[in-house]
Amino acid sequence: MPWTILFFIIFGGMAVGCALSMVAQRNPLYSAVSLIGVFVALACLYLTLAAPFIAAVQIIVYAGAIMVLVVFVIMLLNAEEEARRPYRLKFLIPVAVGLATVLIAEAAFMLTVGGAARPDPVPPKVAEVGLTASVGTGLFTEYLLPFEVTSVLILMALVGAITLARRTQVIGVAEEDLAVAGGAAPSLEAASSGDRIITPGDTEATGQAMAREQIARGEAAAPARHGEEEKEGE
Amino acid sequence: MAPLNWYLALSAVLFTIGVVGVIIKRNVIAMFMCIELMLNAVNLTFVAFSSYFGDVTGQLFVFIVMTVAAAEAAVGLGIIIALFRNRESLNVDEANVLKL
Repeated sequence: MPWTILFFIIFGGMAVGCALSMVAQRNPLYSAVSLIGVFVALACLYLTLAAPFIAAVQIIVYAGAIMVLVVFVIMLLNAEEEARRPYRLKFLIPVAVGLATVLIAEAAFMLTVGGAARPDPVPPKVAEVGLTASVGTGLFTEYLLPFEVTSVLILMALVGAITLARRTQVIGVAEEDLAVAGGAAPSLEAASSGDRIITPGDTEATGQAMAREQIARGEAAAPARHGEEEKEGE
Repeated sequence: MAPLNWYLALSAVLFTIGVVGVIIKRNVIAMFMCIELMLNAVNLTFVAFSSYFGDVTGQLFVFIVMTVAAAEAAVGLGIIIALFRNRESLNVDEANVLKL
């Protein structure tokens, strides 16, 4: 038995086993660890396919960057085990099983009946397709435009992620607070210039500043404040 | 090398497991990881075809797919954090209306 077939059986079995374990686990952290196992197994399969560059990128980007991000979010949100509550949409379970059966049957049909007439393509003699030099040459000559478009996509994702994850509510209050204090109530600013620094995430400091503002300006600003606080409290 | 069909079959099995996971899981982070699994299954077919046909284009496509997956991870996890901040829950059954 050639070595590649043995490696395919080992790492293919590892990939399928880790994927099944990922779906079966109820704790998201265990699922994440199983998914890292799938990524490592796939990287080994890429090595058997003579693609060392893609294998290295798979380990670095997927098992390194993306899974660290996922594990970080799981721990940040303190995601507990899924409660074993009854599914509200019970019909989804047979639907899932049926769709999986159809998909497997379709793939098996294509691989046995449809692909039997065609012989396997012969791998090229010199296996320099997957090396870093050929990948880099292709990436920076023929496929330069997709590469640059990808960099724009990364920039957009960066801005979008920061916009989604920051606390817009408190930042708005703090900016308004600073503007009002600087313009309309100079005496208040002079009195409280010691603790004038309000960081966007510091809700206690902004709350005290808001209270001082309301006392200084009377009840005029109160309805707007109540509205914002109600929205936040929901 | 192992036959090309073996790699395609393994990819189909992995993709199917990902689809089943997206359908039966209720935790939004777990669903997110199942989507990553589906992306990886497709990458395996790309690399297998690229290796068997001796053409580097498939591996370049895998490179692009990985970049898109990284961008998707950043934005998706930002959405998950915003969702958790508003709902105090990661269960997708809780998030069935657009307004708060």
